[in-house]
Amino acid sequence: MSIQEANQNSLMPRVIVCLDVDNGRVVKGTNFKQMRDMGDPVELALAYENQGADELVFLDISASNENRPTALKLVTDIAKNLSIPFTVGGGLKKLDDVKAFLDAGADKVALNTTAILKPDIINQTAMAYGSQCVVVAIDVNKDSDGKLGVYINGGRQLVENEFFSWCNEVADRGTGEILLTAMHKDGTGSGFDTELTQQVSKNVPVQVIASGGAKTEQHYLDAFTHNADACLAAGMFHSGDYTVGQVKEYLAKAGLIVR
Amino acid sequence: MKKILIIDTKAGNLFSLKAAIERLGFSATILAAPDDNVFDGIVIPGQGRFGTVMKNLNANQWPDYLQQAKTKNIPMLGICVGMQIFFEGSDEDPEAVGLGWFSGKAQKLNFPKKPMVGWAKLDSNIWPQSIVYFVNSYAVKQSEHSIATTFYGEQFCAAVKQNSFVGVQFHPEKSSEAGAQIIAQALSGNTARSNGDLI
Repeated sequence: MSIQEANQNSLMPRVIVCLDVDNGRVVKGTNFKQMRDMGDPVELALAYENQGADELVFLDISASNENRPTALKLVTDIAKNLSIPFTVGGGLKKLDDVKAFLDAGADKVALNTTAILKPDIINQTAMAYGSQCVVVAIDVNKDSDGKLGVYINGGRQLVENEFFSWCNEVADRGTGEILLTAMHKDGTGSGFDTELTQQVSKNVPVQVIASGGAKTEQHYLDAFTHNADACLAAGMFHSGDYTVGQVKEYLAKAGLIVR
Repeated sequence: MKKILIIDTKAGNLFSLKAAIERLGFSATILAAPDDNVFDGIVIPGQGRFGTVMKNLNANQWPDYLQQAKTKNIPMLGICVGMQIFFEGSDEDPEAVGLGWFSGKAQKLNFPKKPMVGWAKLDSNIWPQSIVYFVNSYAVKQSEHSIATTFYGEQFCAAVKQNSFVGVQFHPEKSSEAGAQIIAQALSGNTARSNGDLI
């Protein structure tokens, strides 16, 4: 896909920043045990909005039931302060959870494990709130033989769903977008899986958000010229290596029309 | 302080919209049914399906209220489905009848992917270069009252204006600074062409 093709619609490629939330704070996992406190979610969200982030995703905001009221209040605080769209995900187990977070002010919910275990929740959420509120997150891993496997429970459990049929199924069920995380790329810093992103984006009629592997601004350009509708990253922005503005400037210099 | 009414169409949370209006220094009151208070501006929010929104508006006598507000030239802002209801109908719920202030209807357009999700630049004299956030599967293709268009698979109407009413297909409350300016203009009733002429 050429720059010209990428620019043929007025719709622009989106740069999305992901924030992991634990107990009301944004955290960064350095390894399985240690979590580094990154700061207040509302403050960080506003900082990223000011950098030019097109959207934000808050993950694990809702992971534990005990923290539910705190998490809902936080979502309302974010909705009141942010003037760009945001998605919440992680630990939404039933339709009531989805409803609670959308009613609290989230623009969209990301469903991963629950989408696999109870796929009807995609249809139910789309019916009740509209497809635009549903993002199905798909964690996919490519093994050394090139075989693609779909994983749930934070990448710990392989499921039987065939990857491409699952992508098509979630679109048929009414998801508005697919958040495609290439586990084999995650943490490598070698860039998004552009080939896989392109395959999904060209063949599934919903927006595809590429995730996993981003380290430089070039990785964004590569993904957007391989049909990614949006790209999501966390580390390269949280570390301060890049601002969203720097990535967008690079994309603009390369000829892509960005916000 | 300008007093703004947000009509609660019972189709989604209104936190972002209320906050966006309050950030402009206006007060915002959410009402499910009309009351006797006088407002300086009215917002019809952008959540929900066409049929559900029309049903809830009709059930609470909003159409008469809006008609009167129109006669009094009170600034009104319809967002997304809140803009579409001012047309005759929508393919989303063909049996539902819109307010019919504008001819035409919302249609399923030739979008490459549905729903359209994301930021797009407006082609508009009033809001030149404005980049705003769209989330929609349906849209009005063209209108004689169009003041902005954009392109996604095909060109469609991104905003309409007639007298004190402004309708936008995008979500200004989710469109950062560009959206805030559009809300402020629409609710102040001073949406002008770039040459300064009021339309």
